[in-house]
Amino acid sequence: MFEIKQLAKRPFHMNKTDDKYLLSNISAEVVRGEWISLLGASGQGKSTLLRMFSLLHSPDEGDMLLEGISFRNQHPRFWRKQICYVAQQAVMLTGTVEDNLKVPSQLHQLTYDSQLAKRLLAAAKLSDVDLKKDARELSGGQMQRIALIRSLMLRPTVLLLDEVTSSLDVTNTLAIEELLKDWHRNEGTIMIGITHDLKQAERVSTRTWFLAEGTILEDAPAKQFFISPSTEAASQFIISGQAEVLAT
Amino acid sequence: MTLFTLSFTLLFVFATMMISYWQKLGLEKEIAIGTIRSAVQLLLIGYVLQYVFQTENYVILVVIICVMIGVASWNAAKRGGGMHGVVWRIAISISVMEVLMMGMLLGLHLIKATPQYIIPLSGMTIGNAMVVAGLFMNQLKREAVSSRGEIEALLSLGASAQQALHQVRKRIVKFSMIPTIDGMKTVGLVQLPGMMTGMIVAGASPVEAVRYQILIVFSFTGSAAITSILLSVLCYKLVFTKDLQVVVFQDS
Repeated sequence: MFEIKQLAKRPFHMNKTDDKYLLSNISAEVVRGEWISLLGASGQGKSTLLRMFSLLHSPDEGDMLLEGISFRNQHPRFWRKQICYVAQQAVMLTGTVEDNLKVPSQLHQLTYDSQLAKRLLAAAKLSDVDLKKDARELSGGQMQRIALIRSLMLRPTVLLLDEVTSSLDVTNTLAIEELLKDWHRNEGTIMIGITHDLKQAERVSTRTWFLAEGTILEDAPAKQFFISPSTEAASQFIISGQAEVLAT
Repeated sequence: MTLFTLSFTLLFVFATMMISYWQKLGLEKEIAIGTIRSAVQLLLIGYVLQYVFQTENYVILVVIICVMIGVASWNAAKRGGGMHGVVWRIAISISVMEVLMMGMLLGLHLIKATPQYIIPLSGMTIGNAMVVAGLFMNQLKREAVSSRGEIEALLSLGASAQQALHQVRKRIVKFSMIPTIDGMKTVGLVQLPGMMTGMIVAGASPVEAVRYQILIVFSFTGSAAITSILLSVLCYKLVFTKDLQVVVFQDS
């Protein structure tokens, strides 16, 4: 179980004693097998929240516990091995595509599971990519999928997905969704993902967190959230999201 | 050369200041300070060296080398502005380099164990190490900004500080050694180095001067490598916070 208790973050360049918060009063309990869509308008701090979960930013207040152990009692590298953040802007590391896929096993002295990599590449429609190719020569969409597979090779307990399908076309987006659903079903990984695609959130998630006014304003099962949101802000957000879809 | 004839070289300085004034470069003050400082510093060290060579007092020799290391470390540390504890890290790197280089030069009887040899050679290698350290610190800060994505991608996968900075460190070490290696490749073809030129002007045979210059060039390479690698070991943690996040530096 992933427990979040009264987590708060002050703005990055403000005095520590300032009483304003970027995010505050963030509390939740997430159990194995849940898939949460983190929704909210731009600039609400969705990425900051995910980065805070993976300790790429330190919370100013509150606590986070994974299987009962606080992040404060663990080295950040072991915490991140279990709670892995996948950035929106995929960064390829020096070397070939295969070198990139091998990074998690090299970092933690584990055996490289080439069969798993092959299976994930096929599911992400990347079977035809030359593994010996320089990873930095891939297209943006290919990089994003390789970065996701690279994180999956770590087999984390919690996977934090920051708009990981934003550079993908419809076909590849659906392929990645299927890949993640399959992974989620088999591994029971907790998924927490940011998306601006409300349809995608409806398709994949079991629960939604609506981030507004610097906190999780609404925490509800996905179906319930989209049918009858309990706050006016969430209703407006869903309506504007649907209007955007109709406009496109 | 008399001081009177030496004073004619000030014409070069005046010409430079005139150009700066004419082109509105605003460098006149800097040039004037630089001129006075270099003249005073060099004349002073000339008298100090003359005294040390005559007395052969090894305490003064050690003090001079310590001052050289101190000034070099302080100067190179300015390139790492915003990072804490840089001066002593550079001082340790340069000191270890100096001990190793002098140990080798003296142990293999490549130079005589007299201040006449030790001071100029130490000055040149410490000076070169200072340039290497300055480039290293400057590049470390730059890489912490420009390679932030790469470092964070590794941290997200559970990398330690050492693992997350491995490739970046390699790049910084290479970068800081480029001027020394380039200088090594072109020495004698593009520029005739100061030490060799000085010896020839002072009457030594060109072949003898070249032998010492080869010694210097090889010592420079060694000093650059030792300084840079030691710095990479001592300084890589400076770009991380205690929670293993990348420190935010202002892009300079």
